[in-house]
Amino acid sequence: MSYGTTVRDDIGNEHPRKHLRLKERGELELKRLYSEGEEKRAIELELRTQPIDDHPYEQALRTAREEEKAFLAGARERRAACLSSLEDRDPRIREWTCQLQESEARRDFYEPLVDMSYDFELAYQENRVVSKELPIVIALRHELLDELEEAEKDLSLVGKEDQEAALNEFNEYRRKRKAACSEEKKKIRQQHREGLISSKALHNEQKRAERSAEEDILTKKRLLPLPKCRDRVRHIKHRLKVDIDSRWRVIHSDISDIRRKTPIEVKKRHPWLSLLTFPIPGLGQLLIGQRQKAFFFFLGTLFIYLAAIPYSLGVGNYRGKGIAGLISLAKGGARLDRSIIFMIEGVIAVIFLVLAFLILYLSYRDVRSTEKRMIAGIRKHNWFETRMVMRGKGFPYFVSAPAAILTIFIVLLPIAVTCLISFTNYDPTHQSKFSWTGLENYKAIFLGQGMAGGPFWHIMGWTLIWTLAATTLAIFIGFVLALLVNQDRIRGKKFFRTVYLLPWAVPAFITIMFFSIMFSPSGPLTVALNQFLGNTDPSEMLNIKYTTWGTRIVLILLQGWLGSSYVFLLCTGILQGIPNDLYEAARIDGAQGFQQTRYITIPLLLFQTAPLMIGQYTFNFNNFSIIYLFNGGGPFEPSKYGNLAGSSDLLISYIYKLTIQKQYQGIGSAITMIVSLLLIFITWMGFRRTKSFREEKL
Amino acid sequence: MKKKKSEGLYLSDRPPLTPVKVVLLAISYVLLLLYVFIVLWPLAQILITSFNGNQEAYIIIGGSYSFSFKHFRYLFQETYFFNWVLNTIVIAVATALLTLFVVSFTGYAYSRYRFKGRKASLMAIMLIQIIPTFAGITAFYTLHSILSAIMPWFSRQMFLVLIYAGGGIASNTFILKGYIDSISHELDDAARIDGCGNFQVYRLIIMPIVRPMLAIIALWSFIGPFLDYLMPSILLSDPKSYTLATGLYTLITDQYNMHQPVFAAGGLLTALPIIVLFIALQNQLVSGLSSGAVKG
Repeated sequence: MSYGTTVRDDIGNEHPRKHLRLKERGELELKRLYSEGEEKRAIELELRTQPIDDHPYEQALRTAREEEKAFLAGARERRAACLSSLEDRDPRIREWTCQLQESEARRDFYEPLVDMSYDFELAYQENRVVSKELPIVIALRHELLDELEEAEKDLSLVGKEDQEAALNEFNEYRRKRKAACSEEKKKIRQQHREGLISSKALHNEQKRAERSAEEDILTKKRLLPLPKCRDRVRHIKHRLKVDIDSRWRVIHSDISDIRRKTPIEVKKRHPWLSLLTFPIPGLGQLLIGQRQKAFFFFLGTLFIYLAAIPYSLGVGNYRGKGIAGLISLAKGGARLDRSIIFMIEGVIAVIFLVLAFLILYLSYRDVRSTEKRMIAGIRKHNWFETRMVMRGKGFPYFVSAPAAILTIFIVLLPIAVTCLISFTNYDPTHQSKFSWTGLENYKAIFLGQGMAGGPFWHIMGWTLIWTLAATTLAIFIGFVLALLVNQDRIRGKKFFRTVYLLPWAVPAFITIMFFSIMFSPSGPLTVALNQFLGNTDPSEMLNIKYTTWGTRIVLILLQGWLGSSYVFLLCTGILQGIPNDLYEAARIDGAQGFQQTRYITIPLLLFQTAPLMIGQYTFNFNNFSIIYLFNGGGPFEPSKYGNLAGSSDLLISYIYKLTIQKQYQGIGSAITMIVSLLLIFITWMGFRRTKSFREEKL
Repeated sequence: MKKKKSEGLYLSDRPPLTPVKVVLLAISYVLLLLYVFIVLWPLAQILITSFNGNQEAYIIIGGSYSFSFKHFRYLFQETYFFNWVLNTIVIAVATALLTLFVVSFTGYAYSRYRFKGRKASLMAIMLIQIIPTFAGITAFYTLHSILSAIMPWFSRQMFLVLIYAGGGIASNTFILKGYIDSISHELDDAARIDGCGNFQVYRLIIMPIVRPMLAIIALWSFIGPFLDYLMPSILLSDPKSYTLATGLYTLITDQYNMHQPVFAAGGLLTALPIIVLFIALQNQLVSGLSSGAVKG
């Protein structure tokens, strides 16, 4: 990288170099580019052997720097002298006045040095701005403080008698105003009686009259001496805070404007600092001189070296061994060591490490970009500018942080653990210690082998039948009901709507449990059913809960009952939104009632509810409560399903039984993974077709 | 005079009824009323059973009837019904508050800001929300024992709240983001010109406008714990700490607690407020659901 003869500032303007030595080098480099042979070699030699420090400009610069140092060293004394000389009683004004004096002194000091270096120019400009604008702030504060004093004096002068007199006057006014109000209301009522205005207008007008009276009284009340003075004091105090703050912000943004327009010249040509400080976030920022920013990155460093790395090495774990535990899964560990804890803590360690790496990378990138900008001529951000950037770009990250943390630890972590368990032999014989087994579980499932894997395909089959049948039935019922209720000749729409809402409104677990009672062996519906079929002999009695298809059909019907409400409500909402013009146009074209339904209502309904209906299918695919609460997944059919599952079990209730009741967590997790991937795939396919995705309007 | 004239005239916008249409209309009514019966009969049975003093541990329909509060008395005195109600309400309120707090920020950020990783994370949460919460059941158990070892006050109910809230973040963020998207950016811009910062725009401009949608989200997060059986049945072990769903289930499965009419009474008490809520707010609830159409 060459130095060049110019530097570029933050807004893209080029500035000639002021650093004469760098400028000479830049010129030489430029010359080398356009020269050949002998001449080129001479230039290269000169570039290599050029004296480093004894350039006349460097010497001048060094003297200037020393002078500057001496001058700045006197700042503290000047401040002390200034503070003791001032008599203003407000400490802030004293402070600012001294700051102003110092700024003026610095401005005058830097003025002759402006042409020497951009650093001096910047210092001059900054101090110029401060010395120009600080007096305004001081004057404003003076003014406000005077006002405040006056207002407080007024407040203290408000005597009891004044207040009382005013209060009497106010009460008098209130009485009069109220009287006027009732007079007005009387007039309005008179108008109503004469039939000039409607009763609605009467109501509104009366309200308006009342309100305007109330407002008048309130205004008057706030103008009483005591509240008035108090309000004034409060107002001034507010301004003291807000107005002055905003003045200061103006000064700061003026300064940052200057910083943007004033380039910087550095000798450095490579961003090596970012590489050197990569392991310690914050160090680079500190060396560059961004102290506040460095502080926050140091917090990150603390997290990395005091939390993330020790944790992943096994220090401070609950019972696990960090990353190592994730690999060994407590193999050969103490008797009380449990593999599952080792696994979870291993995953937590991985999450911590990822976070640590993220912090390292962010810090590295931050230092690197600052360095690169400085080499190009752009000044580093000061704290005010950093804060502005953080407020703009950092805001969404900042406010999403709680959601991110919750999602990572409550959603992602458990899913990751489940995924890992599916590759282990976590089963009843390996409860406390299990080990990695690769794809064994998946093999068992797909081949339908073993105790737990055996019934998989049977259950999968029934799950699919169930999903299609139950959902389609519910959609069909809801659809037909919506079409029937929304015919324009049907009366009592509100009644029907309210009744049909009920299956949805009553918590599903209650109805399912109640139906479960009614279909139990001696339950009322079983008895009624058998009476209907004419089975009186107890041995011939049909028992829904003991027959596979009986349970299955009742489950489907029950879900039809439960699910239809939602579809009904949805369709009703859409039907009411279909504009009447469509039907009118159809009627003019000669369409009969049935044709209108067939060609207008149904297509629109289908089109608009399609995504939600897909949601209904996935909901039923995972409808745990109805299966589990109705018959516990039963009846059992050991010849086909083994003794882990019943014949009405869905995949989800099978997973529940495997992981929670029978302790086949390995296989259960593998099935969970298969189900999840399947669902993601289906939803993804459906989602890709939706409008919002195609229009990239996420 | 006027009346007489209209008798002979057909004064309706709709075409006159033909006999076929009369029949069709009659069939419609019959079907509708039939379904009304199908809906109401089981619910009516719950209602009747819970007040029938002649019912014993097993429900018998069509038996003798005598009005009594016996089952309710049993429910209040012999079971932990009040504990269950309290647990459920505490969990539901905590879930709703936590969800609101987290989601209102993310919805605002995802709608109004274009930041790095926005689209990728949106896609990611889209896909994650499809995976049902039960996918992590094995981990939840152990995760809780780790957490409660670090923080002994961390109860299982609190963990349940975290699970409910965490599981709802994705879909609710989506719903809220869609809603905020529909609010004109000019309002924000105007506020910014008047000197509002990010938080002030959020608090003074966005929040008041999205209040209806926030109410819907809060409502759904509130109702969720009332309806769920799976998670509490896994996580909660002490009958005193049960929620309504798990608690009432013990009344029909536990050999010792078995008392079906009492279950009906408890179910009735649980269902009533929710039914009232649903009927009063049906339009809002449905619109909340349909705007989350992308949810799987």
